[in-house]
Amino acid sequence: MPDTSHAANRASSARRRADFKALGPFIALAALIVLGAVVNPVFLTPGNLINVLTRTAFTGVIAIGGTFIITTGGIDLSVGALAAFVSGVMIIVMNALTPEGLPPLMVVLLGTLTVMVIGALAGLVNGLLITRGRIEPFIVTLGTMGIFRSLVTYLADGGTLSLNSQIRSFYRPVYYSGVLGITYPIIVFALVSVIGAIVLYRTRYGRYVTATGANEEVARYSAIHVDRIKLAAYALQGLCVGLAVFLYVPRLGSASATTGLGWELEAIAAVIIGGTLMKGGSGRIWGTVSGAIILASIDNILNLTGAISVYLNSAIQGCIIIVAVLVQRDAKSRP
Amino acid sequence: MSASVLAGQGIAKSFGPVQVLFGVDFAVRAGEVHALVGENGAGKSTLMKILGGYQPASAGTILVDGKPVSLRDSEIAERLGIVMIHQEFNLAETMTVAENIFLGREIVRHCFIDREAMRRASVKVLAELECVVDSDARISELSVSEKQMVEIAKAVSRDVRVLIMDEPTAVLTGAETEVLFRLIRRLRSQGVGVVYISHKLNEVKAISDRVTVLRDGRFIATEATAAVTPDDIARLMVGRDMSDMYPLHHLPPDDAPVVLAVDGLTVPGWVERASFELRRGEILGFAGLIGAGRTELMEGVVGLRSRSAGQVTAGNGRSIRSYDDAIAAGVAYLTEDRKKRGLLVDKPLTPNLTLLALGRYGKIFIDLAAERAATAKAIDTYQIKAGDIDMKVSSLSGGNQQKLLLAKTMQVEPKILIVDEPTRGIDVGTKHQIYLFLDEFAQGGGSVIVISSEMPELIGLAHRVVVMREGRVTGTLAGAEIDETNIVRYATGLSGVGADA
Amino acid sequence: MKFSIGLAALAVGMMIAAAPAGAADKKVLGVSIPSATHGWAGGLNWHAQQAKIALEKKYPDLSIALVTAGDATRQANDLEDLVQVRKIDALVILPFESAPLTEPVRQVKNAGKWITIVDRGLTDPSIQDLYVAGNNPQMGANSANFMVKKMGGKGNIVILRGIPTVIDNQRFDAFMDIVKKTDIKVLDSKYANWNRDDGFKVMQDFLSRFPKIDAVWAQDDDITLGVIEAVKQAGREKDLFILGGAGMKEMVKRVMDKDVLVPADVLYPPKMIADAMELTAKHMMENAPLEKQYIVDATLVTPENAKQFYYPDSPF
Repeated sequence: MPDTSHAANRASSARRRADFKALGPFIALAALIVLGAVVNPVFLTPGNLINVLTRTAFTGVIAIGGTFIITTGGIDLSVGALAAFVSGVMIIVMNALTPEGLPPLMVVLLGTLTVMVIGALAGLVNGLLITRGRIEPFIVTLGTMGIFRSLVTYLADGGTLSLNSQIRSFYRPVYYSGVLGITYPIIVFALVSVIGAIVLYRTRYGRYVTATGANEEVARYSAIHVDRIKLAAYALQGLCVGLAVFLYVPRLGSASATTGLGWELEAIAAVIIGGTLMKGGSGRIWGTVSGAIILASIDNILNLTGAISVYLNSAIQGCIIIVAVLVQRDAKSRP
Repeated sequence: MSASVLAGQGIAKSFGPVQVLFGVDFAVRAGEVHALVGENGAGKSTLMKILGGYQPASAGTILVDGKPVSLRDSEIAERLGIVMIHQEFNLAETMTVAENIFLGREIVRHCFIDREAMRRASVKVLAELECVVDSDARISELSVSEKQMVEIAKAVSRDVRVLIMDEPTAVLTGAETEVLFRLIRRLRSQGVGVVYISHKLNEVKAISDRVTVLRDGRFIATEATAAVTPDDIARLMVGRDMSDMYPLHHLPPDDAPVVLAVDGLTVPGWVERASFELRRGEILGFAGLIGAGRTELMEGVVGLRSRSAGQVTAGNGRSIRSYDDAIAAGVAYLTEDRKKRGLLVDKPLTPNLTLLALGRYGKIFIDLAAERAATAKAIDTYQIKAGDIDMKVSSLSGGNQQKLLLAKTMQVEPKILIVDEPTRGIDVGTKHQIYLFLDEFAQGGGSVIVISSEMPELIGLAHRVVVMREGRVTGTLAGAEIDETNIVRYATGLSGVGADA
Repeated sequence: MKFSIGLAALAVGMMIAAAPAGAADKKVLGVSIPSATHGWAGGLNWHAQQAKIALEKKYPDLSIALVTAGDATRQANDLEDLVQVRKIDALVILPFESAPLTEPVRQVKNAGKWITIVDRGLTDPSIQDLYVAGNNPQMGANSANFMVKKMGGKGNIVILRGIPTVIDNQRFDAFMDIVKKTDIKVLDSKYANWNRDDGFKVMQDFLSRFPKIDAVWAQDDDITLGVIEAVKQAGREKDLFILGGAGMKEMVKRVMDKDVLVPADVLYPPKMIADAMELTAKHMMENAPLEKQYIVDATLVTPENAKQFYYPDSPF
């Protein structure tokens, strides 16, 4: 039963802690950049930075969607497999459209439309099973993960689906070119992040997402349609996967059973490193962005050095991820 | 007169630069019930957390059996026989009663947990306490009062010498409170010192031997309970006279229109064909024992709970089927469970205040500035004592949380306000404020439904009282009929529909 | 009883449903292989499927039970089902991992079945009746010899390895044994997990890090595909060449077309499963005599011989 001045004091110190915690992922990223520069000055060259950020874009865009899911208190394990599946569908659709004599731009646009629609529909299916079916998100998406993964294997007949070369050369610049040296995937990632931040922090929907994850009962008693909020979050995640695939397919022009393997874990790790609470109720878009960049940078830095035995790569990754989260935890428990 | 088992001398506590306790003296003897009272923020809980080993004191001495001790953590305190039962129970919900009683000190035989021995020991402890809880039941299956019994059994099984109870009856019905009192008296006769923190002064009068009053972190007085009246205690608590606790009844005119008609409402498993009407300007009370279905009825009325039969009609003739309908018709419901259903306790004030009425702050984008302004206004209007507009709701005192919940509900500008246990666990001053608010709301053309388990509150506030028993409306009392005897008769089935006699 | 590769996961379930009825008079050959999780394994599945069709046509009294598994534990479970439910007479298995499957295969052997081991040897070779394998050390050595010759014994190379396994170590060690006797400098080697995306990323970083690379040993053709894209992005196609491995049809095609970026490829053909099935079936049905070992050469694919290793219908 604190009196008011005491409460005030506690509150302001709580806020200082919160501020520090919010800074955690950015501090970790800054430290990693310094580390990278020390390991190999090549790390800071524009070419390398562009490479890293461009690679970050797929899992980054997916992780923005994941931030919404996790903020509602859910999880989506199916995103990597879904990415592989829609990549496969996109290639099949574009290969099938090419002989029709359509202009390449039209083919790519139709392909893109297809992945967006299928992505969103797949997300809706996840969402419906979770909200209407009343099944745990972990189980639902574990199930659909297997389904999407084997669907792409089926489509590719166990091998690889390759985009025909005519469309390939037209579509290729979407990954490799850009504006003023900044590649399109980076631009798209930045735009998605800004939109994600606005939606989560400034709109009613974002507030409802947060409230749902913070306490579903309170949300329900505040006249919020919890099921619709969740359903929309999963559809949004599917849309993000579609967008990621739009950026991914032009890179190698192929899809196989190994496409997007482990992306779900990378995306979830990015979200958590970024400071979003696993139990829901607090989402941090910019934290997620730096989390995704941290993960891609670790890989890059390890590739830029010969000093560490390749056998230890995963151990180094694991350590950096844990330290990045510990930084925040420490900040949290500090008085 | 026996010596003190546990005593604090000159206890002071500061959080950073803010001092919340100023050299308080407090002592509990073996075999006495010592009540600790004071308004919210007076420092009662902080003092008890210090004596229970949950927080260190900034200054002062703690004595056990007259010898100074250092209670670095609650485990040390427990080893000395000092056990604190918190308002939020400290039980593992998914484990059984026996497992909880022995949590952390399981009986082990040959490396394995000896369930049978634990069960037998639990049955014995529970029997000693005259408690009918099944030792194999899971905590999640128990009622609130049964959980409290388990907490007490847990304490007793640990050779408790001082038992600190923080607002133990806040969630109990009258009958359950009687059981608790028998238990406390039994513990007292066994030589246990009981510290009893409560807002309910008539309970303090009924159960305690001595009473200590704190105000604003300072020691005010320790009196023999027999020598003071509840009014005396209240005066000591607030430092002024506490007459006119309840506002005068401002009855609506006889021709006031019906603004809400409920007809034959059935909520499966809870409420059977309940009907009542609410008129403009009226304060309608709902009485009954816990489990009588009052909360479920009201949740059914506003569409938060599914119903299998019945009709709810707003004053304009529109039917209410969902919570959206209710809000649109100007009906708002304030839940009894402010921490689990009312407020996002980990969030600051602003998102809590506007959550129900967020559409008023923008269709798609939220007008953040308007939101903040609304919070500042609510803090002012409802006199919410928040040191900082950005503080988490969990750092507010119970009374201030309740005022925030009221402000949140009022954001949709309802014409009909349904409040469920609006003063549970809050101090006298805040109670008074809420009573005044409800009265003014009704006088201003609004209508109020109050569910309450505190009879003086219903009697003091309501113009009419509907009494429920086992999911049915058993009677409606008006005017001079509203008294404790009548309410109890209807609530227990001695009078009204389905009366046993 | 036809099932496509994509539905292979259902195979176990269907197998139980379609238990022995009518198969009693037929001889049954059980085939257990890893599921198609990467390109090479995809080729493996395709070749196994083709061999099943061809062999069942050739020997009307032979029934082939083909099952695929996603990990070692499931593969061990599959073996029990093959013996007890499908009543197999012989087993062709490409073990997921050597050690964990040694005992389960020994159980099958103890039940009196013929055992053909493919590619990954068990820890106890006495279990096997026939061993069919690619030649991993030879693959590394042939790759090294080609590179040494093409580079004139000097220059800078980078290596993209597979995943940390015995196979990868054998290839890598044999390669290094030859290369380290020359003036060729290995700038660095990193794992690319037999995966295109990883091949792309690792190669991008190698290209940022090393301004002068003369050749890349990618060791696997899935990796090679990613490497090619990274090299193209950096505009360094003219500065270096890439040597892959396994015999993916796209790579064989490039070799056939005399692509300067991919001048050759070293075989590690997934077709070995078909060879193993054929040899075993032949032994079962015709009692043909067999060698204990049958090692598939890691042949160097050059523009001259490429045509005979090109399977345009295979997924790999």
